[in-house]
Amino acid sequence: MAGLSISSVTKRFGDTEVLKGVTLDVADAEFVSLVGPSGCGKSTLLRIIAGLEDPTSGEIAIDGKGVTGMRAAARNLSMVFQSYALYPHLTVAENIAVPLRMRSLTAAQRLPLIGPFLPGAKEQRAEIASAVQDAADMLEISALLDRKPGQLSGGQRQRVALGRALVREPAAFLLDEPLSNLDAKLRVQTRAEIAQLHRRLNATFIYVTHDQVEAMTMSDRIAVMMGGEILQCDAPSVIYEDPSDIRVAEFIGSPKINILPVELANAEMTLFGRVLGHAAEVAQAGIYQLGLRPEALKLMQAEPVMTGTVAHMENLGSEVYAQVALADQTARVTLRAAPTERHKLHLGAEVGLGFDLNDGLIFDADGKRRRRLEVAVMREREVA
Amino acid sequence: MTRDVWKHLILVIGAIIVLAPFYMMLSYSFKSPGEIDRGVGGFFGAQEMMVDPRCVKLRDPNRDEIAAVAPQYPGKTDSEIRAAIMAQAEIDCSMRPVVFNYSKAFIEAPLLRYLLNGVIVTASIFIVQVLVALPAAYALAKLKFWGREAVFGLVLFCLLIPVHAIALPLYIMLAKVGLTNTYAALVVPWTISVFGIFLMRQFFMTVPDDLIDAARMDGMTEFAIVWRVMLPTAIPALLAFAIFSIVAHWNDYFWPRIVVTGSRDLFTPPLGLREFKGDADGSFFGPMMATATIIVTPLIVAFLVAQRRFIEGITLSGMK
Repeated sequence: MAGLSISSVTKRFGDTEVLKGVTLDVADAEFVSLVGPSGCGKSTLLRIIAGLEDPTSGEIAIDGKGVTGMRAAARNLSMVFQSYALYPHLTVAENIAVPLRMRSLTAAQRLPLIGPFLPGAKEQRAEIASAVQDAADMLEISALLDRKPGQLSGGQRQRVALGRALVREPAAFLLDEPLSNLDAKLRVQTRAEIAQLHRRLNATFIYVTHDQVEAMTMSDRIAVMMGGEILQCDAPSVIYEDPSDIRVAEFIGSPKINILPVELANAEMTLFGRVLGHAAEVAQAGIYQLGLRPEALKLMQAEPVMTGTVAHMENLGSEVYAQVALADQTARVTLRAAPTERHKLHLGAEVGLGFDLNDGLIFDADGKRRRRLEVAVMREREVA
Repeated sequence: MTRDVWKHLILVIGAIIVLAPFYMMLSYSFKSPGEIDRGVGGFFGAQEMMVDPRCVKLRDPNRDEIAAVAPQYPGKTDSEIRAAIMAQAEIDCSMRPVVFNYSKAFIEAPLLRYLLNGVIVTASIFIVQVLVALPAAYALAKLKFWGREAVFGLVLFCLLIPVHAIALPLYIMLAKVGLTNTYAALVVPWTISVFGIFLMRQFFMTVPDDLIDAARMDGMTEFAIVWRVMLPTAIPALLAFAIFSIVAHWNDYFWPRIVVTGSRDLFTPPLGLREFKGDADGSFFGPMMATATIIVTPLIVAFLVAQRRFIEGITLSGMK
């Protein structure tokens, strides 16, 4: 088990720059997710870590030793692929045994027919068989060991792929969207199992996904990638509650965060002409963006900050999401309400909305978080 | 309903056209020369006893032989003795036409030797073709290197070259290095099959990249990937290629005819047919067709055995 460090890695394919200088340090036994929309370079980054792709520039180090330019096999990493990539002609047991056979048996010992009779081969083969059995027991696939991948369901194949990855003790596990071919129910179950596996093996995991829920639920840290860069790498709660970039705020969280334009002029912050607070001399006057999570918005009868009509509703049982078209504005905001408030919401209902500015996130026009401005607005408001 | 009838009618006509030569071949291999000449006897012929004129002729005794056996025929003239011997010969040389045809095929021509040659040549060609085509196809399908498209273009270009156009230069080259009348002359020119490279490349394109990456992560070298991952997954395509290659070289008459000029020991089965080609005394169609039947039988049996997988390979169904 080992830590991993990636320093200013870039990758170009012809004229397109897929990675624009990515730096990331992963501690030993840490579970880091790379999350981002498709085409953001997360899979390319994983393949560069694995050694399946060479970086255009930059360094990769595993456990402090530089491995840039080293063959994939020599890096001692395990990878689980989206399509599982099981060998279709081998049984489950043989599939799981492949990484061990390629490493612990000599070329002669691997030969069919004569290989098993060479000196030392018998002990090695017995060791491999017991390692395969252990891995199969851990993943509860012992009953499937004699089947071919073609006879397995998607979930079972996924376990076999995991088994093949963990049968030898690699420096780190790389997982490339391993759950995206499973149905929704199985995905939730396997998600928990992978997280448990991580705790049990106490190994370094790098997990690529486009699904923010997977990233949020499993990771120690999430690296949000977009356009070939890591925008922010932090614990899931920090990524959700304290994003440093508006793109991170928009990508993480479902339904999406509401972004409303606010104006700062004469030390007054206004939303649709209504004064929210005061900020003295910490920021330039101009247009800023206020981010409000759906749960930050509250239904308010008296003195609402905004009013609008309910344009669409989604009732999930435990919570209700309502899209409210704001009066006199083109924008729509999404509101999360408790089921007890459901009676106030129906299509076309006039509602008033309010929020606590403490729950708001302020970004500048370029999408950068303005924490000092937030603090100033809060403080001024308290004084007022 | 009527459309189905038409469909089947057309298919039946097509089947008859395709099968007719085989029907003739099989039928002739059963019949006596007389039945073949007169076109009678149906499919099997009457299978009446017939006399092999050549066999009888060989037993025709000369003056010394008659003198040697004279004591066994006391009080007979030489011509009477000769007549008696010939009568015995006719009895010994008479047989059913089917026995005549097939025994001729094996005795007159050393057909077993030819069949063995055919096996040696086609198997060597196929094995070397696979050894060359699989790594080449893998490189063309899955590795990125400078000039890959150009190389593949050359492969396609080579597909367009007719064999007969380069036969003469090839023959001259082999003759210069003194390889004519050897197995090498029969095998070497066919060892690089561009068709094989093309077919396997197209199949390898359908193999997911992840599978190859997984093999790399598991510690396989590129050659190990070719033999341990690509070869087993490509069995259906390989079988299709095997049939194309084996049929082409087993049945090839042209090339062995050119490079095997002396020793009959190197004859391949199709050259065996020449043994019965008409000389002054007319062609032996019965034994010739028997030989032809023996030559095509292994291929037909092999096809029937591998039929299901062969068709799988032709359709190039990738794996899911």
